[in-house]
Amino acid sequence: MSDTRQRTAAQILAEYDGPHLRIMEVCGTHTHENFRLGIRSLLPPQVDLISGPGCPVCVTPVDFIDEAIWLAEHGVTITTFGDLVRVPGTEKNLADARANGARVQVVYSPIDALQYAREHADEQVCFLSVGFETTVPAACLAVDQAREEGVENFSLLVANKTMPNAYAALKGSADVFLYPGHVHAITGTKLCEDLVEQGVSGVLAGFTAKELLTAMAVALAKAQEGKPFFVNAYPRVVKPEGTPAAVALIEKVMEPCDTEWRGLGAIPQSGLRLREEYAAHDARKKYGMPEIHGRANPACRCGNVLRGEITPSECPLFGKVCTPLHPVGACMVSGEGACSAFYQYGGSLS
Amino acid sequence: MCVGLSAKVVRIQDGMAMVDASGAKREISVQLLDDVEPGDYVMVHAGIAIAKITDEDEHETDAVMEELLA
Amino acid sequence: MNEQVTLAMGAGGRQTAKLIEEVFAARFDSPLLTADDAAVLDPPRGKMAMSTDGFIVSPSFFAGGNIGKLSICGTVNDLACMGARPLYLTCGFVIEEGYPLDKLRQIADAMAATAAEVGVTLVAGDTKVAGKGQVDGVFITTTGVGEIVEGASPAGAKACPGDAIIVTGDVGRHGCTILLERDDFGIEADVTSDCAPLWGSVEAMLATTKDIHVIRDATRGGVGTVLYEIASQSGVGVRLDAASVPVDPAVGGVCRMLGLEPLYLACEGRLVVIAPKQEAPALVEALRACPYSQGAAVIGEIIDERPGWVVMRTEIGSETLLPQPTGELLPRIC
Repeated sequence: MSDTRQRTAAQILAEYDGPHLRIMEVCGTHTHENFRLGIRSLLPPQVDLISGPGCPVCVTPVDFIDEAIWLAEHGVTITTFGDLVRVPGTEKNLADARANGARVQVVYSPIDALQYAREHADEQVCFLSVGFETTVPAACLAVDQAREEGVENFSLLVANKTMPNAYAALKGSADVFLYPGHVHAITGTKLCEDLVEQGVSGVLAGFTAKELLTAMAVALAKAQEGKPFFVNAYPRVVKPEGTPAAVALIEKVMEPCDTEWRGLGAIPQSGLRLREEYAAHDARKKYGMPEIHGRANPACRCGNVLRGEITPSECPLFGKVCTPLHPVGACMVSGEGACSAFYQYGGSLS
Repeated sequence: MCVGLSAKVVRIQDGMAMVDASGAKREISVQLLDDVEPGDYVMVHAGIAIAKITDEDEHETDAVMEELLA
Repeated sequence: MNEQVTLAMGAGGRQTAKLIEEVFAARFDSPLLTADDAAVLDPPRGKMAMSTDGFIVSPSFFAGGNIGKLSICGTVNDLACMGARPLYLTCGFVIEEGYPLDKLRQIADAMAATAAEVGVTLVAGDTKVAGKGQVDGVFITTTGVGEIVEGASPAGAKACPGDAIIVTGDVGRHGCTILLERDDFGIEADVTSDCAPLWGSVEAMLATTKDIHVIRDATRGGVGTVLYEIASQSGVGVRLDAASVPVDPAVGGVCRMLGLEPLYLACEGRLVVIAPKQEAPALVEALRACPYSQGAAVIGEIIDERPGWVVMRTEIGSETLLPQPTGELLPRIC
């Protein structure tokens, strides 16, 4: 039964004979999984899969890494998701800082970072808070607990981002958005419904082979009908109301702010920062950090890649000076970065 | 954007749950979800449960396809 | 009181002699191991293989073994991969001041037991003690000499299109075990290292056929790295069938939790074997009859297309590439 449905989905992809269609994988994990599952090889040539800006590592500006390194070099223990360790700053990355003696601790969860701070009262411990609505609640839980318990040596360096205004900025760059399933597991589906009103089409997609094939089939079938649509193809996880307690927690701990996206530029009110009540746990305030402006390699074209304007192989650095072993741009570092995925999967099989 | 792990809740205490993903176990926070009980499945990201889910991707996904074909 | 290794034990005097006598010589007892400056040995018949490897695993004790067992298996397996019956081993220790003598005895026990199982003789050794903090616990280097079985000549450059690719058991267990032992990520799982000496498995294969093109042991970097090396050395493509790569469920669970690829986790008791397709069933059967390769399976084939790359046939029947190895394994959330 279920395999039949999966085959039906694959068949819809193979038999699509509609107009040229650009589908944007907003979420980097979708980019990664689509490559891993070879979904591109199942698509007809007039369907393009474009990688979007939904990899927190890729859209985080160089400044943030430089800030983290500034902290590390001022004796602060950095706790971070593994994803950020090799992202290049202006002069070095966190792995280099670690080799020079800085303490950089990879953690699975911000809650583990808080635990590390509890267990190392003699160290100043900062967690690098990147990520979208999916990841923000975990950081908020940690910092909220730290405030409640008075864990004074724990702070966050925040570069979190939110999707609503990013969708507005991306409008027109694709015909159909493959919406990030786990962001909307938190925020619900209202935004997607609203976007349909504005003429923006999208499908909420999950991450297993079956879920991705189904979402893609829905996207192609609906696109042929010619009017804007939204389908939640991930109802197993995404409920219309999302996870209200998570949204409330974000609201309690953080507030919107303008922020810079690598590649997309400044998007008003698309960032988050800690509210004033949490200032004692805000690394920038706590350690009197100066304003730091990083400088990305000027030849790096991550920005164009993130806007879906060029494929990674059109960047002059791609595969030559910029490889997963020696990444220049952030899109080459993250496993879900478009450049890394393109490189590692050989620009797909086609 | 966000790697998710579907895992089964083994036990719960004070908002923390031990979850099991094919034999790999870890403690995570379930503070943001209501009514999670041992035996339930949750989607885990960065050490917290972000949604209560069904364990298989079969049923609901099939329903999406059926609606599309209807 | 806990006995510890002291700097004096490495100074070359009476205490050094005592350490060697009590901890090592008592366990590695053999007429070939003498107090003289070098071992005097009969040369192998025919061609000989020689290999050396250093071991610095942290922690030095883990589920399924310790650094001692690992240091014997590593070199034995390197020799076995050339079709060589391991004959002689030497071992060099660098021990951190303050290391518990009891643990050192356990390491030596494991080395003696593993060597005896394989039938290889420890013929020379060296012991140094380094100051606190100069090394992490104990480092071991082993060097081995083996006698190549007549007619066997496996080599990394000999993979041919049409060959079958066999792996001798489930992948990634050693790497997963070490990751769990370090407890950096609060994950618990019932996973044991695959650390094992594989000469028996190779001997059984060579008894079946000498027509084996490549034998490689997958250590650091795992099976994925080995396959990329072979693809490059032989100038061929590799096609893997993702569904047939054996992975222990718990290893799979840990990998999904941390966003890691099991094919890139270290093994210490797994071979990648490449041989003509018609030999594969008999080889798999022979391997499955051996204690350390009961999970042997054909996982793919060598192809003409895409030289230098590892292509994966995915669970949904499409094709993609196995991402190339990128060095340090970092858990990811995205």
